[in-house]
Amino acid sequence: METEQRKTALIDFLRTIQRPDCPLQEIDGDLSLVESGLIDSLALLQIITYLEQTYGIDFREKGIDPGELRSVNAILEFIGREAAA
Amino acid sequence: MSGNLFCSAIVGKKDKIYRYNSMFLDSQPGCITEPQSGRSWSGREIVARVGVRIRHLQGEGLCRGERVFVLYGNKLEFFVDLLAVWQLGASLVPIDGRLTPFEIENLARAVKPRLLLVDTPAAASTLSGLTALEGQVVDTTAWDVAENSDPLGGRFHSQAHLDDDALILFTSGSTGVPKGVVHSHRSLRARWMALRDGLGVEAFRRTLCLLPTYFGHGLICNSLFPWLAGQDLILAPPFSTDFLMRLGWLIDEYKITFMSSVPSMWGLALKASKPPAAQSLQRIHCGSAPLSGHLWRQIQQWAGIKEVFNAYGITETASWTAGTSVGDFTPEDGLVGVGWGAVVKILKSSEGHAPFDAAEQCKAEESGYVWLNTPALMAGYYRQPELTDQVIVGGWFLTGDIGLVDQRGWLYLKGREREEINKGGMKIYPADIDAVVERFGGTKEVCAFAVSDPMYGQNVAMAVVLKEQDAPTIRALHDWMKRHLAEFKMPVRWYRVESLPRNSRGKISRQDVEAYCARSAPLNLQSILSSQ
Repeated sequence: METEQRKTALIDFLRTIQRPDCPLQEIDGDLSLVESGLIDSLALLQIITYLEQTYGIDFREKGIDPGELRSVNAILEFIGREAAA
Repeated sequence: MSGNLFCSAIVGKKDKIYRYNSMFLDSQPGCITEPQSGRSWSGREIVARVGVRIRHLQGEGLCRGERVFVLYGNKLEFFVDLLAVWQLGASLVPIDGRLTPFEIENLARAVKPRLLLVDTPAAASTLSGLTALEGQVVDTTAWDVAENSDPLGGRFHSQAHLDDDALILFTSGSTGVPKGVVHSHRSLRARWMALRDGLGVEAFRRTLCLLPTYFGHGLICNSLFPWLAGQDLILAPPFSTDFLMRLGWLIDEYKITFMSSVPSMWGLALKASKPPAAQSLQRIHCGSAPLSGHLWRQIQQWAGIKEVFNAYGITETASWTAGTSVGDFTPEDGLVGVGWGAVVKILKSSEGHAPFDAAEQCKAEESGYVWLNTPALMAGYYRQPELTDQVIVGGWFLTGDIGLVDQRGWLYLKGREREEINKGGMKIYPADIDAVVERFGGTKEVCAFAVSDPMYGQNVAMAVVLKEQDAPTIRALHDWMKRHLAEFKMPVRWYRVESLPRNSRGKISRQDVEAYCARSAPLNLQSILSSQ
C-alpha cells in the first residue's frame, strides 16, 4: 500500500472513532489526536487494533512509544518503518 | 467523642501542642514521586510543607467544621493540602477537574465550601465569575513558591476529632441534587486498619496510583492506605495513556510492588506495553467494574504473578471491602472472595427491615441483594438523611449489587440494581444527564441509559423527544450539553424518538428505553454537527 493510500485509509478509520463535534478535515497532520480533542485518549486502543489488523503489527512483542501514535503523520511514519522492516 | 484526634504522640503535655505526624498510620508518610514531572518529596519534606499550608489556610480563615473544595489532584500538593485541611479540623472535597463550571457551581451551592483551591490562574478566573459561589476561590500556585521551611516546626494543636467529617466524595448529582458520601476520620481509619490487618503493608512498599484522586478507590485505598502507613507512592496522571502504554517500563523503572486498576485500563496496557521484567511487582488489584475471568488471567500472565485480586469496593464503604485473598483460587467471572473488614450478607429483600430477619437470608449459592456491615461505613450522604436511611439500616449497608455466597463463603457478584453507567470504572448517573437535557428549552422528554462499549464496558446513550426534531435544534442541544456536562458524561449515541416507551403504570424504565432504541439507528451526530 502506498503512502497516500495508507493516509486515506487511516483517515477513513479515524472518522469512525472521532468525537462527533471535532471535524477531521480541520486537523493538521502533526496535531495531537488526543490533545486536539479529536479522539478520546483510550481510543488509542482502537488505533492499535487497527494497525494490528491492517498491517499485522504485534505490539505485545515490541511495545510502542506513545509518541508514535500521537498524530496522523506520526502514525504514517510508524507504518512506513514497520513496512520497511 | 471528645478530644483531639491527632494527639496520641504526646498525650499529657501541658502545652497542648501536638506533633502532627500522629495523624499518620506510621511514624511519617511515605515519599511521593511524580514520574511525569520528576518531582519527589520525602515524608520529612511533606511534613514540613504541611506546616506551610496550614499557615496559608489559616490566613484564608479556614476553621474546624468547614469544607474545602480542591480542584486538582494526582499531584504532590494535593496530599499536602489534604493533611493541612484535616489538621485544621475541616473536611476536604476532591473535585473532578473535568467538571464544567456549571457542575462545580451546583456542587458548591449544595455544600457551601469555605474555600475552593485551584492551581491555575485560569481556573481561578473561571470560578471567580460564578455568582452562586459563596466560598472563596484561592489560587494555591502562589503558595508553591513560598518559603517551604515549616513555620510550625512540625507541631500543631490539631483541631480534628475522630468523628469529624474528613472527606466528602460526590458520586452523583453534579447537575441535580448532589449525592456526597461523607467519611469521618473514624470510618477512614477503620478501612485502613482493616486492610493493614488483612493484607499487611509489605506488598504496598512502592505503590503506583494511576487512578484519579477524586475517586474513592484511587484516593482512600490506592493512595492514602499505603502512603499514610509510611509506604512510598508513585503518582501518575489519572488513566494516563502514555504511562499505560509503557506500564511495564514504569513498573520496572520505579520498582513498583503494588498497583490498583480498573478493567478498562488493561485493554491498552495489555496490547501496547511490554510486560515488566524486573520482578518487583508483588500484587495487583482490579476493581470498580466487573472483572471477567478471561481478563483476570491475562493480567496475571502479563504481570507474571498470581497475586491479582478482584477488589470489591464502594465509595460508601471507603472502597476495598472484599476481595480474593483467599488462598488458591481460579479467576472466574464475578468472583470477589471474602470480606476485608466487612461482614457480607445476601438477602432476598432490599427493604430496610431485612438484615435482621433470618428468614430473609439467602441460602448458599442463592442470589439476592448484597448487604455489608463494616466499621468503615460512611457517616451518610451529605445533608440527605432520607437518602441515607434508604441504604443504611441498623448499620447495614444496601450495596445495590446482586450476588451470592457459595458453599465456601466466597462472594460472587451477579449484577446490580443501582442506576448507574459504569464507564471504565467511572460511575455516571443517567439522572445527571437527564437533568441537563431537561433544562434545554427544546426538550420534551429524555432518558439516558447504558450501552455496551468495547473499550469501557459501558458507555452513555440517550433517547430524546424534542419539540423541533430538526438539525439546528440538535446542534443547539449538543452545544448546551457541552457547556453543562463534563466531556466524559456526554452520550456517545443519541436516539431521536417520537415518545419514550412506558410500562403499564406509565413509568419509564431505562432498560425498556434501551431495548426500544436498540431496534433503531442512532443519529449520525458527526454529520449533523459538521453541517452547520
